Formats: sequence, C-alpha cells, structure tokens
Amino acid sequence: MEQQRVLFESGNEVAAYAAKQINYHVMGYYPITPSTQIAEFLDQMKADGEHEICMIPAEGEHSAAGICYGASTGGGRVFNATSANGLLYALEQLPVQSGTRFPMVMNVACRTVSGPLCIKGDHSDIMYCLNTGWIILFANTPQAVYDMNICALKIAEQVKLPVIVAFDGFFTSHQKRRCMVFENDKTVQDFIGKHDAEYSALDLQNPVSIGSYMNEPDVLNNKFQLHQAMEEAKGTMTTVFDAYAQLSGRQYAAAEGYRTEDAEVVLHLLGSAYHTAKVVVDKLREKGKKVGVFTTNILRPYPAEELYELCKNVKTILVGDRQDSYGAKGGNLSMELKAMLQEKGSMAKVLTRIYGLGGKDFYEKDAEEMLLACYDAEVERFDYLGKYPGETVESAQYFAPLAEKETNLGLMKCIEQNGKLQVEGGRLNETTEMPKRIAPGHGACPGCGIPVNLNLLLRGIEGNVVLLFQTGCGMVVTTGYPKTAFKVPYVHNLFQNGAATLTGLAEMFRERQRRGEYPDGEITFIMVSGDGGMDIGMGSALGTAIRNNRLILFEYDNGGYMNTGYQLSYSTPMGAKSATSHVGQAQYGKTFFNKDMPQIMAATGIPYVATVAESNPIDFIKKAAKAQHYANYHGMAYIKAISACPLNWGDKPNLERKVIGAAVDSCYFPLYEVEQGITAISYDPGQKKIPVTDWLRMMGRTKHLINEKYKDITDEIQKEIERRWEILKEKAGNPLL
Amino acid sequence: MKLPVTNENGYFEIRLESIGGLGANLCGKMLGELGAVTLGLNAASFSSYGSEKRGSPVKAYIRWAEENREIGINSPVENPHILGLFHEALAGKLPVTAGVTEKTKIVINTDASPDEMRKRLQLCGGEVFCIDALNIAMEAKTRINMVMLGAIAKASGFVPLEAAEAIAKETIGKKYPALLEANLEGVRRGYNETKSAFFKEDGTYEKISYREAKSDWGYENAPIGGVNPIFGSTVSNDLSSSREGYIPLFLQEKCINCGLCDTACPDMVFRFEKGEYKGKPAMVNMGLDYHHCKGCLRCVEVCPTNALVMGVEREHPKPKWFVRNKDLIVDKMEFEDAGANSWVTSESYLTEKRIDGGVV
Repeated sequence: MEQQRVLFESGNEVAAYAAKQINYHVMGYYPITPSTQIAEFLDQMKADGEHEICMIPAEGEHSAAGICYGASTGGGRVFNATSANGLLYALEQLPVQSGTRFPMVMNVACRTVSGPLCIKGDHSDIMYCLNTGWIILFANTPQAVYDMNICALKIAEQVKLPVIVAFDGFFTSHQKRRCMVFENDKTVQDFIGKHDAEYSALDLQNPVSIGSYMNEPDVLNNKFQLHQAMEEAKGTMTTVFDAYAQLSGRQYAAAEGYRTEDAEVVLHLLGSAYHTAKVVVDKLREKGKKVGVFTTNILRPYPAEELYELCKNVKTILVGDRQDSYGAKGGNLSMELKAMLQEKGSMAKVLTRIYGLGGKDFYEKDAEEMLLACYDAEVERFDYLGKYPGETVESAQYFAPLAEKETNLGLMKCIEQNGKLQVEGGRLNETTEMPKRIAPGHGACPGCGIPVNLNLLLRGIEGNVVLLFQTGCGMVVTTGYPKTAFKVPYVHNLFQNGAATLTGLAEMFRERQRRGEYPDGEITFIMVSGDGGMDIGMGSALGTAIRNNRLILFEYDNGGYMNTGYQLSYSTPMGAKSATSHVGQAQYGKTFFNKDMPQIMAATGIPYVATVAESNPIDFIKKAAKAQHYANYHGMAYIKAISACPLNWGDKPNLERKVIGAAVDSCYFPLYEVEQGITAISYDPGQKKIPVTDWLRMMGRTKHLINEKYKDITDEIQKEIERRWEILKEKAGNPLL
Repeated sequence: MKLPVTNENGYFEIRLESIGGLGANLCGKMLGELGAVTLGLNAASFSSYGSEKRGSPVKAYIRWAEENREIGINSPVENPHILGLFHEALAGKLPVTAGVTEKTKIVINTDASPDEMRKRLQLCGGEVFCIDALNIAMEAKTRINMVMLGAIAKASGFVPLEAAEAIAKETIGKKYPALLEANLEGVRRGYNETKSAFFKEDGTYEKISYREAKSDWGYENAPIGGVNPIFGSTVSNDLSSSREGYIPLFLQEKCINCGLCDTACPDMVFRFEKGEYKGKPAMVNMGLDYHHCKGCLRCVEVCPTNALVMGVEREHPKPKWFVRNKDLIVDKMEFEDAGANSWVTSESYLTEKRIDGGVV
C-alpha cells in the first residue's frame, strides 16, 4: 500500500484534491450549487501554485461542457463539475461527448431540478443522465468521492467513454469527514498511467474528422459500439477497483449490501442514506427482525448480476427513490430493479417510497418506517414518505392590491422633444408617495444594494407593473416559500432564459388585449437580472433586444455570482478576488476586464440604454420613467445599475453609497444613456474625477491591488477606463457615433 | 481516545446555533477536525446548508465517534451532548434549545449568569456554561467563534485546552500567522473564563423535543405549482435578530424631509405620508417600522442633517418614532422571527480574513 494521510474535508474538497493530484490539463466549468466548491478549491490551489490545470470559467454550463468537449478532442485530460439545472443545461452535450468517444470526468453533486427552484439535494438531476452513454459512478461518502475520482479517469481512458462521479449534494458534497488521501501526487498519476488518445484533433500527421454527419444505417452500428464499450466497462471497472484496492486498501464493488445474506426484507437505497439505513438495520436486528439494506455504486453500466446476488433470497424489497419518474409509479432505481428481477425470474415483492426530495433529511425513523412497511401486507406499493396534507390556516391579506389608481400618481411626466424624452418631476420628496411594489421583510443581507436599486427603479415607474426575475440573490431573498415579498404579479425563470420568458408574457398580454379578452390599458413588463444572469442569459437577452420586444430589462450589477458565495462573473472588476479568482503567489485575482454590457446592448439598436447608480438618485428615477415610456410605446429598454454587496465586496454596509459614488466618480461606472442611438453623458465628474485606485481601495475584494506589486494591473485597469470614457465622450459629441 | 459519554449509536454530538457572521460554521469545522485529527477520533461536521450570510440563522453539527466506528447518520443532531449558542438574541426566538436534557452542556455567549440564562432560555435542565465571548473577542481582537471553541472544549470535560489551541494553530496559523496569537488568546480565555451551574430537570420548565420543520401548507391545501397568492407576505417577518446591536435613531425635529433615507434603505422601513413641511404640502417622514430594520445604518450615512443617528439598540427598547408600515390593511399581525435567507454554500472565500480582523 502507498503512503496516505488523513484529511478532514468534504466531498467537494476531496474531489478537487483528486483533480489536483491528477493535474488535469483543462477544466471548463460554470459555478452551480452544490458543486461550485470543486472549482473554488481548485482555483485556490492554483493560486497557491499547487497544480497546473487550465481553469476556464464559462458563461454557462452549456459552454462549460463545450469547452470540455473541445479540450478532450485535443488528446489531454479534462474535468468538469456541475449540478441540477446546470447539468440539464449541459445535457445536450453529454451524448456528443460519449457518442464520439472522448473520455473525461465530470463530478455531479446531485441536487433537485427546478422548478420550483430548490438548491438542496436529491437525485432528480442525475437520473436524466442514464441514457447519455456516460458511465455513472455513485459515491456515498466523501472518501468514495476521492477514490472514485481517481478510478474514474482510469476507467474512462481504458474504455474511451466519459465518466460521471455522482454523489449526494450537501450530505456528501458539504459534509466534512475523515478521508485518507495519497501522500504523493505521483502515486495517483502512476496509477492512472499515461493517456494515449486514439484520435486527436491536434494530430497533424494523422488528420481526422471528428463528428461525422451520420444517418441510417451507420448510427445503429455506432450505437452498438457504444453499447459494447459499456459492456466492456463492467470488466474494466472490476480490474480498476481491484488494482486500486491494492494501492489504497479500500475495495469497491459494483454493488454492496449489509446483512442481506439471511434477510427477509431489504431496503434498496442510493447515496448517503445507505449508511443511515445500516444503523437502523442493526437496531431492528436486535429486535429480531431479519432486515438488510443494499446499494449500488454504479448506475451505468447497470450492475444487474451483482445486485441480484444481494437480494435474490428476500421476499420483499423496498426501494427508496430520491426522485420520481412521474406517472411511472417509481423512480428510476425502482424501475431498473424491477426490470432486473423480472429478467431473473424473481417473485420478490417490490415497494417504492419516494423520499428526501428537495434535501429533506433522512432520519433513522424514516429508514425504520420503510423497513417496517415491508412487513405490512396491506401497505401501498407506491407512496411518498414524509408528505403531509397541511394545516387549515386563516389566509391573511396584508395589503390591498396595487391598482392603477394607487400607482398612477403623475409624479413624473415624459415629454417627447426633438426625438428625445424630457422627464418632468421625479423629485425625491414627492416620489416617496409611490407605493412600494415589493414588501419589506425580505431576506437580503443588511445593506444590500438590490432592494435599494429596485425601489429606485420602481419609484420612477407609474401604473401597472409585472415583474420577472431571473435566478439570483434578488429572487432568492424575496420569494422564500411560503412567503413572497412581491405585491405585484411576479414570475421567476432560470437565468438562461428570463428575457425570452418575459417576451412571451408581454406578447400574451398584447395578443389577449387585441382579441378583446383583456381590458384596455398598459402594463409595464420588467425583467430583473443580476450580472450573473447577464452572463449565462446574454444570448436570450440579446435575442429579445434584436426583436425589440416592448419590455424593460433591468440589470443589477454587483460584479459577481454573490448568491452562490461570490464566484467571478464577467462583470467582476479585473484584479478582484473572488472564490474562483483567488489571490496567491501564482494569481492576482480576475484576469480580464469587466464586461461592457451597456455598449453591447446599445449595439443591438434598441431605443433606450442607460446606466444608473444610487449615488445619483434623481437621475436614476428619471431614467426609469424614460425606460417605461420606451418599453410601453417603442421597444426594449435596458438599464444597468451598479449594486452594492457588502458581504462580498468586503466593505461596511452603511458606506455603500459612497463606494458606489466613487465607482461613478472614477468613471469605472460612467452614467450615461443611449437614446434612439444617440449617446448623452448624464454625469461628468470633471475636476472631481478620481483615479480608479481610490475606488478599489474601498473594497476588501480589490484593496490588495493597491500594493505596489500590482501596479501594472491597476495601470491597465485605469487605461481601459480612460479608453471607454474617451469613446463615450466622442459618442456624446457626435450623433453618428 | 475513549469518549466518556456517547448516545445509543456511539456518537458524541454537538450542535451550534448561531446567526451568520459569527463564525459558527468555521467553529463547527474546527471541532470536527479537532476530533478527527487532534483527538484521533472518527468525526463528521456539517452546517445547515444555506447561509453564512450576516444575520441569518445558522446551525452547525458535529459528531465524534471512536476511531473505528462508522458514522452513518447524516441528519441533524437532535439531542446534543453540547449545545453552543453563539448569540444571546437567539434565546426564546427560534427553537434553539430543542433536544436539551439535564445531561446537556449548554455553552452560551452572554454576559449574564447561568441562573439568568436558564430562566431566559426556559431550560428544563442541564449544565449551563456562560462565557462573555463578545467582550473577550473585542478585548483580545479575535472573533466570537474562537472564544466559543475554547468554552466548548472546557464544557466537554475531556477536550484539553492544548487540543483546541492546536486546531486553531492548524486552521489560522497557516493562512494568517499574524492573527494567530490574538486568536489563541481568545481560545484560552474561552476555556478559562466560563461560569457554570448545573440544573436538574426539576419541572420548572418543560422539555422541548426536536421536531422536523413543517409548513402549514401541505399537499392538500398548498396552491399547485408552488404558486404563492399571499402577496407581500414577507411583511410578517420580524428581522430584528439580523441587527448587530445598533439601530438608527430618528430626530424628527431635525428632519428636512428630503427623502434620501428612503432612497438608501434596503428594507423599506421609512413611512412617508402626505402632510405639511414649512407651511407647504409635502411628504413627511413619520418614522420607522423597526420590524424590518436590519440595522445596516445606510440611512444614517446619507442623512444630510443628522436627523438619523446611530444608537445602541438596547438603550432604546421602544423608540417613540416606531411606526407601522402604512400600507398594511390587517389590524393585527403575528410577526415571525426571521433572518436574511439568502443561500451561500461556499466557504473558501468566506473563511478569509474579515475587515474587522477576525476569521470566520
């Protein structure tokens, strides 16, 4: 056995540790809870100079999978990690990877698939992958996550198939356990061996075409090859697991059971719940019940023989499914076990309990209830464990609905003059009269900029409003079930797709109105997104802009994926540290400039683009009023606000308006508008213009840049600010630019 | 090492109850590691996933078992051997004392006495250890979690101070050597300065058993699709436990009704009504609804006339300018204690040094 040492770490941490030891060539990734930490830990280790993996932060999981695919065709080693809707967003790419036979390893920290949006763990995401042609290992402890990550790559390269290492989100991904890891990275690298790719897009002497256009009869043969590789994988896995046991002292099998030999009834569970059930099996055994439990460590290829060996003598099996295949009366674990038993001619009775959805804890009493159900001849074959009908409650109405008359106060007036809008009104005292469309009591952090910006925006908008939020802090803190902060109609959709979703809703309104099914009058449709949503959802937002649909797109830009613990976004300032752009001996923070989204939007030719900041509140309110006018009568309006995040900016909540004022005064975030294609600067700091370092030093995330050793970086940032500012001034001076 | 006391599964269990920002998450990790690495036990630790944001309720769970005993349970700690309460304001608000018996050791960050805390927490029994972690943390320039770590080691009766120091060295010394001495001082003072008293289960207060969270809405009465028809219902949340000891005070006579505070407040706390200012009709600032104030003090910073100033919350138990949200149409409302509820599930960034010098 090779030298090992103890780590006390979570599944995510040891997955990252294994990847570091392997020293993959490329990792393409996009952060999504609960798998995010894997990229974060790798980034930290990269900053500390502990590995050489080329880490590429994609703008969404679909692209992350694309980066991985492209990299894998280049003959090197590739790694990814994702969860839930991120996995589903990337799903299209999975059969491409396996169908063209390029090995790689992807970790899936399993999480509930939306909607309603849930961040906690169950198995609803991983089961979508059963038909993708990927090998799927399932690790039920952090130790197994580490071990399987090492075995996975060896298996992948031998059978030329990609491999998923799946594990329970949170229960395994976040729970810290005692884990043994190899002392030397070389032990791991020697075990896996050298990778000789059969085909490579970088082999110039032997040029190959990867990704043929193929129909019948060839696809059938191609898929049979894939089937054969899966069959071959069964043997390969056994060999690899055995060799790994020699090295580590830890033996894995395709399936494993506990006290199943003489059991009358057994549970079949996947993931961390297996270990909880073992504790309960011991207790029931003490009471004379002959019970057991078994699990599978591999979902694909399905280990039918091994599973049958574990349950062939039992009378009743209860399968606990942590997901449902709705309408099939069973999750995938149930259906596959039933199919296997039928093939074996078994007469065992199989019950199904859907349990633990949305991260609901699996207690000892749950395992006990499952086992005891097997002794009840009358019990339902299929049911949900832990459901309840609910308590009768008086339904409260806290507010009167905000009808047209409560919100149409005439506080602002837009007048068209020479093809431009002039706004009258919008004074701060008067506009306090505008009722808040969002109720207090939401869960944003103390000092958060998001509600501040939403209130300023909505203060400038009269009349009826319908809101759509993309996933992000703004949505999470306002709609934590069973409560909601919204006093006006609100829709959430995932952040690849908010602009398209709101297009559909706005056009439904206009179409129903046209058909006479809906009363006359106006509704202003507003989509709210963070800067993260403007990364992954940029395609949809630009599509909407190009179609020029009549709605407002409001972006609150706090420069990072704050909701998931501050990973870099494309709008994070260059040089800023984040959980995926650490500062260390080998890295100084984020390596590229903040995305200039207003200019990208302006290039689509929509009638109104504006930037706003809470430090200039009157300007903010007036621009909101203008955006409303354009959205109601002309087309799409886009407004971007710089939005404070005290938690992740690393500054004091009470000082945020000053920090934002400094961003504006340094022209890092210039205030301007592009109205019908003509640029106008709303605020020129002139003599008050400050160097960007005066802003950067105010925030914990950027103050390291003030150090003399980063002067090259701050000079570069300053230069880029000047370039953008000069261009803006030129544009403002010339209507043709 | 042999554990002096374990539950029926052979585990020694610890539960920490806190609000985000006080470092319970890191303390939980350190206690787990202390078991696994320093004491040579098997160990597991995890948090109530979903928050290390300032002001939101956080729970951390630690299980220790003898080295060769597998830890199979992944669900929350129901009947802790040690319960650590990081924030006094948690007392009586959330069911933080669930599962306590007279065998539990309860470690509380407070300057009050064990007798007083037993009363305030309505503890059925148990050994209460009080430690003024806030004050020690300020004096020693460390964080509450380090002091609590020391106090928990003391309360356990079997974790030596050296083990707690060793884990602090391991966790903080490597990354932030300059902060190590202050944090070690915090651990030591936590260990040495607890005041304790034992209370039998004498029937003064009832035992509270652990219960899984349950909503009123179930499969029979919840609107389908997760749709929520009770608009604006977050208004019934009371967020005062998110505050860190300070509130804005409102001196109406100085107010010029400029409305800047209302543009800066993230929590829609200010109540402006139609009225008169300097003889002219104007929107007039009537005061604040403190139920929703998280104490960020943004309003104090933007107020041009010092009509809003920072005050210590406990010195103003019932401010006279405390007004109700004007848009509410219910006569009476039952407030529910809540905290910031955003989800943050990573920690590699958050465990970095905070601006105030500590590590969380």
